Amino acid sequence: MTVKVIQRDGVNVFQVNGEINISTSPELRKSFETQPSKKIVVDLEKVSYIDSSGLATLVEILKKTKMQGGSLGLSGLSEKVRSLFEITKLDKLFSIHPTLDAAVEKVR
Amino acid sequence: MTKDRELKEYRVPSDLSEVQRASADILDFLKTVPLSEGGLFDLRLCLEEALINAMKYGNRLRPEVPVEVGVEIDSDEVRIRVKDQGPGFDVAQLADCTQSDNLLRTRGRGVYLIRKLMDRAEYNACGNELLMVKRLPKRRG
Repeated sequence: MTVKVIQRDGVNVFQVNGEINISTSPELRKSFETQPSKKIVVDLEKVSYIDSSGLATLVEILKKTKMQGGSLGLSGLSEKVRSLFEITKLDKLFSIHPTLDAAVEKVR
Repeated sequence: MTKDRELKEYRVPSDLSEVQRASADILDFLKTVPLSEGGLFDLRLCLEEALINAMKYGNRLRPEVPVEVGVEIDSDEVRIRVKDQGPGFDVAQLADCTQSDNLLRTRGRGVYLIRKLMDRAEYNACGNELLMVKRLPKRRG
């Protein structure tokens, strides 16, 4: 898994590529810790797999962002990844957008 | 009626860095089963969630204590047993991770996903062995 951070309209966009699993979740957490921001979009377009540790890491990041008065959006979820958010009802917790542009527009 | 049946057993050290390797080995054994890409995704996810729980909460991440996995395939279904050496737990005591008060929790989604994504998921009486069943679509001809 790799994480590339880019700036779009004052929003930190974390572009994740690969699998978010028990081995890679700590790396994902670390990239948020090293580049904290109040306006975050996590682009999951290139994420092919996510497990409960990955979901938990995203929940953790959302909690921290909200505690600091910030906002976080998700974009580009594949049908399968989105279904996991729906099954666990995390789609009620996260602001989920079909495209990166839509997520940035909402968060900025 | 006799049906083709294949069985393979695995012993996985309780080390989280072993999860992906064990999962890849088991999925390689399952590569001939007629499941869609989505079905295989579900199977992999449930297998890895069960392995992680067995390693962490059952075997307390002691690498020398293995998680025992039995994988059985026949023409109707895939059955995966995951057993740890711990004292077990009461699955009824797990909080419902989908309740609004629990959505921000960072634990408890693994077992929930297993129960939702598999056709059957049952723990033994003491809770240290999980049987997961995924039914296979009927082959034509």
